[in-house]
Amino acid sequence: MKTNRAYINNSSCISCAGNSNEELFVAICEKKETIDIDTTYVKNSSVAIGKIKNFIDFDECLISECKKVLKTSNLDDFSSTLLVVGSSVGGMNKTEEIFFKDKSYKNINKKEHPIDAIAHKLKQVFEFYDDISFSTACTSSANALGYAKEVIEKGIYKNVLVVGVDALSYTTVCGFHALSVLSCKPCTPFEANSEGMNVAEAIAVLLVQDKPTKPNAVEICGVGYSCDAHHMTQPHPEGLGAISAMQNALTNAKITTKDIEYINAHGTGTTANDTSELIAIATLFNKHKPYVSSTKSTTGHTLGAAGAIEAIICTMALKKGVIPPSKDISKLKNEEIKISNVVVEKNLNYVLSNSFAFGGNNTSLVFGIPK
Amino acid sequence: MNLNLEILNVTYLINKTAITNLNTKELIPKMVFRRRLTQASKLCIELMHNIDFTQGRVMYASCFGELNSTAKILNSILNQESISPTEFQNSVYNTPVSYSSIWHKNRSEIMTISSGENSSNKLLKLGAIKALDGDEILLLATETLDIPNIHEVNTSCEYLECAVALKVRITQKKENIAIENIDKKLPKSIALLVEIAKEFDKNRDNIIRVTL
Repeated sequence: MKTNRAYINNSSCISCAGNSNEELFVAICEKKETIDIDTTYVKNSSVAIGKIKNFIDFDECLISECKKVLKTSNLDDFSSTLLVVGSSVGGMNKTEEIFFKDKSYKNINKKEHPIDAIAHKLKQVFEFYDDISFSTACTSSANALGYAKEVIEKGIYKNVLVVGVDALSYTTVCGFHALSVLSCKPCTPFEANSEGMNVAEAIAVLLVQDKPTKPNAVEICGVGYSCDAHHMTQPHPEGLGAISAMQNALTNAKITTKDIEYINAHGTGTTANDTSELIAIATLFNKHKPYVSSTKSTTGHTLGAAGAIEAIICTMALKKGVIPPSKDISKLKNEEIKISNVVVEKNLNYVLSNSFAFGGNNTSLVFGIPK
Repeated sequence: MNLNLEILNVTYLINKTAITNLNTKELIPKMVFRRRLTQASKLCIELMHNIDFTQGRVMYASCFGELNSTAKILNSILNQESISPTEFQNSVYNTPVSYSSIWHKNRSEIMTISSGENSSNKLLKLGAIKALDGDEILLLATETLDIPNIHEVNTSCEYLECAVALKVRITQKKENIAIENIDKKLPKSIALLVEIAKEFDKNRDNIIRVTL
């Protein structure tokens, strides 16, 4: 079997933290306030959510982000490219608009409701060689990236466009509220008294290819999958699934724990996730301790888009030699973890990104500077 | 590129309404676990039992996912009622294979895709690419469309509940299954897999070509 390598050559994203990769990274490093307090989604409650600013239509944003990536790439079009979407919301936000207005399913377009609604929309504008959509809740686009690496590694495709996307929807905001895990203020992952998470929307697009086309390309070096096999919403209390996913990613990348210099954690801000993930990191990285931060304090939890937007953050960190800081943690939930509340400048070779989801679905990705 | 998959075993269930003659009570004796299961979760557990696959990698597909939970949530929001936390956790597309992984303590890689009406074909492609690693993989697909007022959007599909499982591995053998006719009364997203399952003959090799 062929063993090609997978390189992220181009990417673009939009989120509550900015309208470009640069704006996003600056917002993280300067610890800007990006999360809004909202009273419209949940009846009689204020919740903090991450809304994209300065845009009119979410679909137009989606097309625009893909166009930006195409324009900066070495491709004339996407006709030889596999589209891999990662989403947990799909077209649910559109369905809600129609259903709440009509009080009936009658006018819901079957192609614009499910997860495939994203690919359906993109295929109206771009021609792709083929497409597939992953929907594993909050690991959706991390799994999309893992698949991109896999199909390139196996020599099946040369170009893969990964699109991580989730719009805000009543279902997700009200659903997480029902689970009592939403914070009414900007989230503070890994803070001892963290009050919960912020649901957010984002679009993150990455072009993954079998050759680096730019001097600052970043390699997807490893992917690791696991299942907790424990509980639908509660992660394993000892982080066994998370440990397994991280170890599998390191093994796949043919590196060891000492090679990882930064972990972009899943870090939602919920007690269950943060406690479990920090135990997992402390257990696996018990000798060599990399810096750990959760950039969800700036982006919010973008659900199915999280893996893709955090991949972009990892590529920025590697390219700039900058470890994204934590957002002013005063009392750390787990003292065995190494964090920094200020930017750390350091030449980085390998970083790791975690994504965990409902159902105990765990995915870890290793990104690195190509050797 | 073409890859050939050897189909090692199959099982499927189709019905015009919700399938009720399941062995869920025997398969999941623990009531506190059983009562949380969605219909698609019950179907997956039934098929995994029938095909004797509880450990290993599972690739799952559904076009519409957990439609019943989704509809209940939408109606709760519309009527300004509280959302059931269980309904929300059950509304994600990977719910059925997550419950089965929890029940069977299967810690392997488990993926869920949703590619509209082409979900069957995309699942075969995903399965073939994953199977290049050399292991036996379970391909699972369900559609559970028998929910109140589904007639408002469903005009063509007669079989509202379908579930199919294929145990596969990669092979160099020549293909001998070609599907030419697809039952239009089945949900399009799952029909191809059901037709492949119908073609399975345990007294011969069963090989299908997957064109990537």
